[in-house]
Amino acid sequence: MKNFTSDIVIGLEIHCELNTKTKLFCGCPTKGSEEPNTRTCVTCLGMPGSKPVLNKKAVEFALKLCLALGCEISPELIFSRKSYFYPDMAKNYQISQYEIPLGKKGKLKLKEGKEVGITRVHMEEDPAALVHPAGMKDSAYVLVDYNRSGNPLAEIVTEPDLESPEEARDFMKQLITVLDYLEIFDVNSGIIKADANISIKESGYTRVEIKNITGFKEIERALMYELSRQKGEVQRHKTIHHETRSWDSEGGVTFSLRKKETEEDYGYIIDSDLTAVEITDEWVNATKKTMPELAQDKVNKFVHDYKIKKEDAEIIAADKYLAKMFENVAKHVNPELAAKWMRRELARVLNYNKKELNETGVNEKHIIDLLKLIENKKITDNVGQQIIEKLVENPFDVNEYVRKEKLEAVSDVSELEKFCKEAIAENPQAVEDYKKGEAKALNFIVGSVMKKTKGKGTPKEVNEIIIRLIK
Amino acid sequence: MKINEFVQQVKNNQVDIVEHTHKVIEECRKLNQEYHYFNTISEELALKQANEIKKSIKNNDKHIKNKKLLGVAISVKDAICVKGVESTAGSIILKGYKPLFNATVIEKVIQEGGIIIGKTSQDEFGFGSFSINTDNIPKNPFDKERSCGGSSGGAAGLSQKLSNHIALGESTGGSIEEPSSFCGVFGLCPTYGLVSRYGLLDFGNSLDKIGPIGKSIHDAALLMGAIAGHDENDSTSLNSGRVDYGSFLKEPVKGMKVGVIKESFGKGIQNEVNKAVQKGIEKLEDNGVKTEEVSLELPIKYGIATYYMIATSEASTNLAKYCGMRYGASEKLEGSFNEYFTKVRSKHFTEEAKRRIMLGTFARMAGYRDAFYLKAAKVRTIMINEYKKAFKKFDALISPTAPMLPPRFSEIEKLTPLQSYLADVMTVSPNVAGLPHLNVPVGFENNLPVGMLLTGDHLQEGKLLQLGSVFEK
Repeated sequence: MKNFTSDIVIGLEIHCELNTKTKLFCGCPTKGSEEPNTRTCVTCLGMPGSKPVLNKKAVEFALKLCLALGCEISPELIFSRKSYFYPDMAKNYQISQYEIPLGKKGKLKLKEGKEVGITRVHMEEDPAALVHPAGMKDSAYVLVDYNRSGNPLAEIVTEPDLESPEEARDFMKQLITVLDYLEIFDVNSGIIKADANISIKESGYTRVEIKNITGFKEIERALMYELSRQKGEVQRHKTIHHETRSWDSEGGVTFSLRKKETEEDYGYIIDSDLTAVEITDEWVNATKKTMPELAQDKVNKFVHDYKIKKEDAEIIAADKYLAKMFENVAKHVNPELAAKWMRRELARVLNYNKKELNETGVNEKHIIDLLKLIENKKITDNVGQQIIEKLVENPFDVNEYVRKEKLEAVSDVSELEKFCKEAIAENPQAVEDYKKGEAKALNFIVGSVMKKTKGKGTPKEVNEIIIRLIK
Repeated sequence: MKINEFVQQVKNNQVDIVEHTHKVIEECRKLNQEYHYFNTISEELALKQANEIKKSIKNNDKHIKNKKLLGVAISVKDAICVKGVESTAGSIILKGYKPLFNATVIEKVIQEGGIIIGKTSQDEFGFGSFSINTDNIPKNPFDKERSCGGSSGGAAGLSQKLSNHIALGESTGGSIEEPSSFCGVFGLCPTYGLVSRYGLLDFGNSLDKIGPIGKSIHDAALLMGAIAGHDENDSTSLNSGRVDYGSFLKEPVKGMKVGVIKESFGKGIQNEVNKAVQKGIEKLEDNGVKTEEVSLELPIKYGIATYYMIATSEASTNLAKYCGMRYGASEKLEGSFNEYFTKVRSKHFTEEAKRRIMLGTFARMAGYRDAFYLKAAKVRTIMINEYKKAFKKFDALISPTAPMLPPRFSEIEKLTPLQSYLADVMTVSPNVAGLPHLNVPVGFENNLPVGMLLTGDHLQEGKLLQLGSVFEK
């Protein structure tokens, strides 16, 4: 056993669906009809006499993941049968990998730079889905839907290097970003699940496994709960059992599934229906060439080459579309200005509209045109914000829009003065209040001018003019 | 009449194939009453095929002249899937199971004009050497009190009794050769991977091979040519080119070298078997074949142990799918899934299937798998190397096929499981090594047939047929 030093020890086993078009061992589509048992064949139904044939694309996807995590790659891909009886298993064994995983000894950096060790990455097939028509607890029977049966999964096992639920969440987040960049996982509809092992110093590090936690937000919740449960038990002088628990997301609690007296025995044997596949250096090198730059490379690049703040760089890099756009935009406008606008304004508006950048149709030209106008003070920040909001709703040619709507910044002082005089004349009460010493009253007059100019003057300029005129 | 002559007559429209097929089915029914060679006779499918062939001949279909098996009755070991025809591998747990697809070999046979006449009886899932571990036990064509051997017992017996017919058998550890020996027919177990396993109800995936059984060596060679070849549905299928196996039968054998395996004529071999095989060796020598004694210690010493570790480990995972959930036998749904699966499996597997599931599960459990499953895999590699060394010198190796004459059912009853496993002592090792091997009938002792086993190097089926042709009457 490892000599742990931290108060909390967490290790994760993560299963994620690789988004290949077809299943791991047959030609059935992984997506499409949601009608139960329509995307099936004799192989993914495990019918007697059917045989698996490996989907090479899935291997390529898993290989990319291994390379992104800096794993040592096995020279041979060998599949094993993991035997256990369960109603979601088409054959009562799962084709998985055992002795020699595709990748081992990798690592992934957390946000703050801490490295988390990756023990192994292996490939396996997804079982079918069990459907409980009246919910988990109240159904009189269970239905089986084999549409998912045979979908390709990658299993990622970490070293017990995580020291808090927050770190576990961050790990999941970083992993999802990697999967997204590699385009081997569907961030919007793909399933990513984790089993977590957690133990605390006070119990002498008695390990508890929590099964089936979906998504990175849930992992933090589940582990927070489990941590306080374990601490509470110790405080009440109760024993922490070596056991498997399940996470009930709705109830926000973990509950015991079974005590672990011994490790489960899956009786692994080689699946001799599949031959060993050689992972040649040529294959690995060819795959490397198709690998995109990853989020963490991008953060470094943005900070060093574009001299933007690390905080901004991280937020931009977390979205691969935003990152790509930033790089192109930064070639045409000041990178700091681009970072500020893309990270704060664009990200804010997308977030508000619950949209992904790639869904909006907003492209580099839109942003470059807009930021150039801002950079050259042709429009005010205020107008810039309004345009971004409109662009996200429905993109248009920015330059033309500004011309048509007459949104160019009013830099002519005499014209601004005209609007200011009008506003002063229309708001005598506010002028009086201001003169009495109520500084806030000025804002009212400035606001009125901004309305008249449709935001074309900068508030600072308008402010100065009004003070001069009132005096 | 030889089968190739029969095929020619069908092509020339000298035989009414529909009428002929009716007669064949009728004969099968009669034979079955007496000998129990069929689990299912596929009359409907056979007549449908015969009618289609008749129509094609009438329409002067130009493809007809290329069909190697036109009109030939082909029986299928029950473990091979035939679409829509009950395929149970001799097991009660699969009663009523009709596959949704044809095995690749069935597709190929149909493509060549072969007529599927039915599913032949066998030990449940191939678990046995006498075809007694099932509810339909085939009887030896030479003595109904005796066994056909197994597990392809029905296939071998039928091959002896039914003319213009070739059988599809399957061997995991001797299930083509040993029954062929007991029934006095030619059985060819090909190199592992030469014939697609797609659609075979698995016993041991790294061991299973489908191969032909025929009364004449020409029949076996003919069917072999029809079923061999790459199949993209079976990942273990070899990329071998098309071979005309019949052509080897005309090649002279003079000057070929065979090694006579010293250890296979020792203790435990019945004298009658010894005598007949010696005569067979002399016959080869008379035809100019050079023979020499060769020592191959490992295969005889460790073959059985290695085979049973690998075969049962694989079988125990293959049989896990039979749990009464979607097909085959079922029981009243009650209790947890675990209780339900246990109920179905306890009730519908035979004792032998249960024994092998337990053996195999034990051999692959943590704490034991190093000593059993993994060690067996290592021995397998060493064994292949030992054979490979011998094939540098010899075209083929010789041993008896079975250590005994076909035993009486009353004698088999008295055997312990281990004693009955020893019936495979000669055949398991070539199977473990994935080597092609051929049973040739070398004569009769006490009015019972004796077989000699010719084992060749990988993909050297041709040489075996060449040597075997010496024994064709």
